[in-house]
Amino acid sequence: VTDWREIVGAEHVRPGSPGDAVDGVVPRWVVRPGGIAEVQTCVRATAADGLALVPSGLGTYLDRGAPPSRLDVLLRLDRLARVLDHQAADMTVTVEAGCRLDALAAILAAAGQWLPLDPPAPATTTVGGLIAADLSGPLRAAHGRVRDALLGVRVVAADGALVHGGGRVVKNVAGYDLPKLHVGAFGTVGVIVEATFKVGPRPVCEEAVVVAARTSAAAVEFARAVLDSDVVPHWLEVAGSGGLAEGPGDGAAVAVGLAGIAEEVAHGRARTLALAAARGVGAVPVADGTGLRLRLAAFPLEPAAAMLRAAALPTEVGDVMLAFAREAGAAGSPVRCLAHAANGVVRAAIARATAIAPVVAALRPWLEARGGALVVERATPEVKGEVDVWGDPGPGLQLMRRVKEAFDPGRVLAPGRFVGGL
Amino acid sequence: MAAPSLVAGLRAIVGSDGVLDRPEALLVYECDGYTLERAAPEVVVLPRTPAEVSTVLRLLAAEGIPFVPRGAGTGLSGGTLPVGAPVMVCTSRMQAIEAVDVANRRIVVQAGVVNAWVTNAVRAHRLCYAPDPSSQPACTIGGNIAENSGGPHTLKYGVTTNHVLGVEMALPSGDLVALGGAVEDRPGYDLVGLAVGAEGTFGIVTRATLRLMRTPAAYRTLLAVFESVDAASEAVSGIIADGIVPAALELMDRLIITAVEAAFRIGLPTDAGAVLLIELDGPGPGLDAQAAGVEAVCRRAGVREIRVARDDAERAALWRCRKRAFGAVGRLAPNYCTQDGVVPRTRVPDILRRIAAAAARHRVRIGNVFHAGDGNIHPILLFDGRDADEVERVLAAGRDILAACVELGGSLTGEHGIGVEKIGQMPLLFAPDDLRAMISLRAVFDPEGRANPHKIFPDAKVCVETRAPRRQAAV
Repeated sequence: VTDWREIVGAEHVRPGSPGDAVDGVVPRWVVRPGGIAEVQTCVRATAADGLALVPSGLGTYLDRGAPPSRLDVLLRLDRLARVLDHQAADMTVTVEAGCRLDALAAILAAAGQWLPLDPPAPATTTVGGLIAADLSGPLRAAHGRVRDALLGVRVVAADGALVHGGGRVVKNVAGYDLPKLHVGAFGTVGVIVEATFKVGPRPVCEEAVVVAARTSAAAVEFARAVLDSDVVPHWLEVAGSGGLAEGPGDGAAVAVGLAGIAEEVAHGRARTLALAAARGVGAVPVADGTGLRLRLAAFPLEPAAAMLRAAALPTEVGDVMLAFAREAGAAGSPVRCLAHAANGVVRAAIARATAIAPVVAALRPWLEARGGALVVERATPEVKGEVDVWGDPGPGLQLMRRVKEAFDPGRVLAPGRFVGGL
Repeated sequence: MAAPSLVAGLRAIVGSDGVLDRPEALLVYECDGYTLERAAPEVVVLPRTPAEVSTVLRLLAAEGIPFVPRGAGTGLSGGTLPVGAPVMVCTSRMQAIEAVDVANRRIVVQAGVVNAWVTNAVRAHRLCYAPDPSSQPACTIGGNIAENSGGPHTLKYGVTTNHVLGVEMALPSGDLVALGGAVEDRPGYDLVGLAVGAEGTFGIVTRATLRLMRTPAAYRTLLAVFESVDAASEAVSGIIADGIVPAALELMDRLIITAVEAAFRIGLPTDAGAVLLIELDGPGPGLDAQAAGVEAVCRRAGVREIRVARDDAERAALWRCRKRAFGAVGRLAPNYCTQDGVVPRTRVPDILRRIAAAAARHRVRIGNVFHAGDGNIHPILLFDGRDADEVERVLAAGRDILAACVELGGSLTGEHGIGVEKIGQMPLLFAPDDLRAMISLRAVFDPEGRANPHKIFPDAKVCVETRAPRRQAAV
């Protein structure tokens, strides 16, 4: 049986405590390897002992996903925190998985650059967590998601082998696009230890315009009008009742993010205000667009009994928000919604735990029938015990099972955390 | 020769006009745009619908017969060369644009729809499909997905994988499976992302749901003339360093300038060392400021002359010479071979020096026309296919250039794929454990290894006839 102290040193091993629980499952050990070779040794030892591990950075998103079916080792990667290679002129950066997003952002900002992904809590989010949980924020409207920025990965496979996929250049079709396999996979097919991203110039100006609307349907209509105009929004959030602190109280609101050089931003601001005036609705320019965006980005971590995440077509966002309000209301719970309007993603913060199962039961079949999804993004272990976190991932499930079987036949890596019990 | 029973079975599925098995009819299919190796399939089958693809693959599965998928055959790495695969399945008759959703900016097309048709179908709605390979008037969406194709505008807008939301694929078993779809953020492994760029080794893509984008309202297209490729490269770095991301940033060297000028007579200075084609796009405001910034950078790099397209016609003329540069090269030599490699964009001057050295060492003439903003090089190696020794020297120079790309921290291919062409170089880029991971992924989709066998991965490669090419690469 493995003595973890021999691998990582006594100061980097401790027994698991309730604070380390992954969705209510407490690990036997918390192990913090100090380098890739130690990660490999840890994974090999876990497999050899017939144990299971969950990879983790700083633990901020361990309450996402389904509870692990087994958990012995919480493998914390926060000691692998270096920015290895920032090539500003190539617009690429290579980082270790445990690097915090705020630390990475500071280094990129010094060169006038950014990684345009804005999940909540960058100070407690690592690069590995960003990839494994496929985190995103308002900027996805213009810049896409992790899958669009990730150029390469190094991953420790279930047998301890160090595998690299992709590369460090912005364009590359040599071999399969293995980095994509690990995006949003919750560590079930490998432990991400290093990643290379495409980065870009950080816009010099970022502003916003907040537009009031009487109903969420009216807000969505306005958001669509913005998309159909010659404004190119950098981000476009629609808030239902109470979804936006800056919003008009009981009504809904649209926040239009504008970024670029001053001229572009001024044009976008004027056009958005004109669109609002033509509809006779109130609109307020916000000079600190970045500040507003970061507050909106933090929505998924706001206190609630559960955070649900619906995926639909952009034109369906209004219907989804109405359905959340209707079903949560019927189940006796307040609900606040915030949507990435250009992407068809609606998050709903459900206040009362008792409303979660009925809301999921009512909305999930409707969304899935339309090719969408409803995921329980965050909830207590008790709630997750009653409700399937993921729902039906669609006709690809059989292939997904075979992917898991191919990459982790011994079910060493985060077993049970992913779709279909993978 | 294909077994008569197989041919009869295929005819029963797709009709007799959809099966080719006479040797003269198969000649066209013995290579794609990579002409240095040839092998004719025993039979070509041209299904008209996804359901027919599925039925064809079921028949092949029952017989254990390997197959090679093909779109328009414009690929440049020999991805459609039938190696150990007697049956070629062509998607070129599957040409339906099945659904256009303007409000959500989605389009559903069958695999044989030609790239340029997608934008043509939605242009009236001020929408477009961003990936624009040079072969876009001919190449198919199915082929683009298999190769994860790029194009000049990928610098700002990304490659095929960034614009494919869903695919329907016929697995080698014949099962049709829909992966992804019109909605973003469905849970599960990103099987769509894995299928894009798999070079037909997972099965045959039959349909795709693509993301459309708003056509930019305004463009600024500039042609900057430099005394040397080093000066042009310095301008490329300077533009990026100034925080400007052009929609395209293309470099042509003197040999290509000469060929393009001979072909199109647009007044390019044939004594220049290099020209840059720079395009900025966006909603309009601020574009002039960006264009001024680009001009300032070019002046700092010692630009000789800057021309700005004054209207759409001038813009189109500039792009025409870039996109048809490959064709223009036909004037310089009987044959040419287009290489595809990637280096970090700051290493462009280094790789150009290495290319020049390889040209001298192997006594081969090489021109360069490429996506400088991405570091994606396209050396064009000129030769006479009747000269066996020269063909060998071209192949050797190509290998040296790719090895140099890897040494400089780059990749073997940016948009053409590995195919058969670069199998031998894969170990330069990937360790055995990396290759094992990829091969185990392939087995998820194709456990029997019947979909486009002997591609991408070095194995005991079946012998293919290598001989002088008969026609130019179709780019």
